[in-house]
Amino acid sequence: MDEALKEITSKQYKEGFVTDVEQEYVPKGLSEQIIRQISAIKQEPEWLLEFRLDAFRKWQKMTPPTWGHLDLPEIDFQDIIYYAAPKKDSERPKEIDPALQETFDKLGIPLSEREVLAGVKSKVAVDAVFDSVSVTTTFRKVLAEKGIIFCSFSEAVREHPDLVRKYLATVVPSGDNFYAALNSAVFSDGSFCYIPKGVKCPMDLSSYFRINASGTGQFERTLIVADEGSQVSYMEGCTAPMRDEHQLHAAVVEIIVEAGADVRYSTVQNWYPGDENGRGGILNLVTKRGICRGEGAHLSWTQVETGSAITWKYPSTILKGDNSSSEFYSVALTNNYQQADTGTKMIHLGRGTKSRIVSKGISAGHSQNSYRGLVRMNSGAAGARNYSQCDSLLIGSLCGAHTFPVIQNACPGAIVEHEATTSKISEDQLFYCNQRGIAPEEAVGLIVNGYAKEVLSRLPMEFAVEAQKLLSVSLEGSIG
Amino acid sequence: MDRLVVIGRDELPRKVVLGAGESLRLTVVVPQGVSADIDFTAELTGPGADLDLAGVFVPAGSDTVRIRTLVRHLSGSCRSNQLFRGVADGQSQVSFNGLIYVQRDAQKTEAYQSCNTLLLNEGARVETDPQLEIYADDVVCSHGAAIGYLSEDELFYMRSRGIPFEQARRLQILSFLSPVLSRLPEEYYSLIAF
Amino acid sequence: MIMNEVLLDIKGLHASVEGKEILHGVDLQIRRGEVHAVMGPNGAGKSTLSAVLTGRPGYEVTAGSVRFAGADLLAMSPEERSWAGLFLSFQYPIEIPGVSMTNFLKAAVSARRKAAGLPDLSAGEFLSLVKQKMALLKMKPEFAKREVNVGFSGGEKKRGEIFQMAMLEPVLSILDETDSGLDVDALKIVADGVNSLKTPQTSSIIITHYHKLLEYIVPDVVHVLKDGVIVKTGGKELADRIEAEGFEGIDG
Repeated sequence: MDEALKEITSKQYKEGFVTDVEQEYVPKGLSEQIIRQISAIKQEPEWLLEFRLDAFRKWQKMTPPTWGHLDLPEIDFQDIIYYAAPKKDSERPKEIDPALQETFDKLGIPLSEREVLAGVKSKVAVDAVFDSVSVTTTFRKVLAEKGIIFCSFSEAVREHPDLVRKYLATVVPSGDNFYAALNSAVFSDGSFCYIPKGVKCPMDLSSYFRINASGTGQFERTLIVADEGSQVSYMEGCTAPMRDEHQLHAAVVEIIVEAGADVRYSTVQNWYPGDENGRGGILNLVTKRGICRGEGAHLSWTQVETGSAITWKYPSTILKGDNSSSEFYSVALTNNYQQADTGTKMIHLGRGTKSRIVSKGISAGHSQNSYRGLVRMNSGAAGARNYSQCDSLLIGSLCGAHTFPVIQNACPGAIVEHEATTSKISEDQLFYCNQRGIAPEEAVGLIVNGYAKEVLSRLPMEFAVEAQKLLSVSLEGSIG
Repeated sequence: MDRLVVIGRDELPRKVVLGAGESLRLTVVVPQGVSADIDFTAELTGPGADLDLAGVFVPAGSDTVRIRTLVRHLSGSCRSNQLFRGVADGQSQVSFNGLIYVQRDAQKTEAYQSCNTLLLNEGARVETDPQLEIYADDVVCSHGAAIGYLSEDELFYMRSRGIPFEQARRLQILSFLSPVLSRLPEEYYSLIAF
Repeated sequence: MIMNEVLLDIKGLHASVEGKEILHGVDLQIRRGEVHAVMGPNGAGKSTLSAVLTGRPGYEVTAGSVRFAGADLLAMSPEERSWAGLFLSFQYPIEIPGVSMTNFLKAAVSARRKAAGLPDLSAGEFLSLVKQKMALLKMKPEFAKREVNVGFSGGEKKRGEIFQMAMLEPVLSILDETDSGLDVDALKIVADGVNSLKTPQTSSIIITHYHKLLEYIVPDVVHVLKDGVIVKTGGKELADRIEAEGFEGIDG
């Protein structure tokens, strides 16, 4: 295979451009003073400032986790700008800067409701976050008619403080882990979403995170609350410019699913992965967690990971409500010198809770790709079930694929099953494609997409098409 | 080479090295009433090395069974297979941690691991950490782990055919353990009393 | 019989697998419009011949030459051979999970058209081509939606291969043991398909060790391959003789 596949075409990361826009920053570095400044810029209430400062004090006593199968460069937390935002035109503060409009157009993110309503783009409401601020949130009025709140986190703090205060940090406490504590101290913007009792959200909601300024980090915070019997499908996308230095992205996502509610959370992660020599790229150190609080609640995670130099991310679910259920479907592709340590935790507390984990890892180049997972059945989880399937595919002899699941069962009425396999693309499959006239690079793309299909097919339509292209593009240059 | 180790009676080597063409078929029995702390490493250093490791454990009461295995594929064209079956009764605690490591360039490796456990009682605890760490691409590796309990349907099926409860349960356990038990002479079955 | 242009010209072909020589000097000439059968007992090197012609990795040519439509076939990559019009119906078709037959063939047809400098087919054109070819082979429409060879019965796999052949319209088709695992009805459908695709410009090699398929696809020339060399060449009657006497009595 190696000989037949020597042709290497290194592709450009097409989202790697920089937007030239005037930005305002807080000074570089992290201190109580900086946190007070961020909070002041955002005109936050006192309780939120206290929350931040409390998290900061916890963070100062913590050390970065080292258990990941990652070679993480040392991060100088004093060498990062914690807040950067495009300057508003003081004469027209309500309008979107044309440069930002153009940026999101270029990324294919519809900021204009008219285009969507005209059927040019699929029907989805967008919260567009540029560096540390939300630029705009579309379809707020339409959604508000149903009682749905979808806005930037900062606005939620201003307009719905009671809701934010009620749910913030109830799933990911501020001292949960090093990066979550950092986020709790300095988080800038993100999305807030509340679906009232019994309401089925009439369109998909999405957040799009764009890093632009250099020397900054992005610390977004997303909070999704699905009240009893409600339904929502939420999508998250992200990109960043190509730069030689690493940039930090440390987000926290919290999801609360009440009894009978159904939340589907999909991510296509396309952060800049660094160049073919491993220079630059985003360090993506993220805490995502949901809780199925009530009877029959359902939370589904679907993620396609192709981007970021380093990924440290474990979208997890606490299954508290009886008969609640959760799924984690993941495709993680690493190429060149990328490293991913990703997986999930399923914590079964309630009776009859069900979870399913399907993880497809694909390693190419010099990359390292690990699945890490925890499935725990507490003693009260009678009748609970988990099934996990973790497959790894290796392309080339210089990469690594690893599987580190932990399975704990303290309940004789619960069943946990885990299976994992590791293999390479079969030469027979490749030859069969070649014989039909499909060249090696394209054949690998086709086979990998087939391998990942079980996960891709769970994504909303337009996202799935995007993800398929991304997988093929991310593999370019991987064979040879 | 074919070896049988009964914990509490025989010494289990902490480490074995299998060179080119060498093979070892090792079966480990942890009898009931025996607490075990097993730490076993196998290194496969030459092509054709073959490890076939199996273990059975049946802790009850306050027994604890800790098993750590590390199988290192340091050469290509080696094969390893690990098969563990256990049932945990009483207040017993089981932890299994098995790592398969495949070194870069250890191509044509075949490595398998399976560890299935049944919980028979409320107070018993089982944790399994099956792990794969693989740096070569031309490999076939898999692990599987399951923790569950005896199937009620199966039990009912047997009882409806007139098999008494206790005997049906015993049969179920035997059938669950049989992939490992089949490697033992029958006289050893008494070590695994239910 | 009019002597058409030579399409495939194999001269003194030696090939080995894992260092062991399997073909010890094969000579074979096929003209456009001809159907050749290559028969022989198990282990004679029949499948090695098809693997070498299509460029399967792991098969090494140690001596000899193969010219296909005037070009040096052995210098081409497997996909270039495919674009040049060579098609192999696999003895054991490969499963590609998650990839539908439609998507698979779309990739294949597009690549071939691109190589030929033709514009790509629109989705509509492609789907109507699929429908037309499926009707030809009496296949159910669901077939195109299924994953390539995954969960196919033996007969379905072989029909799938002929369907792909119909889609790709090869110049030279090699049918490697296409008859194995087929019942009489399936055999007839496959043979009808192959016959209906036949043109004066295209040729086929039927690799088989049974006589049965040759009753439906009548060969112009029959070769007997034994121990890596062609020991006898004749007409249809040679296949009849093998049917009656077996391979034992046939030597060069």
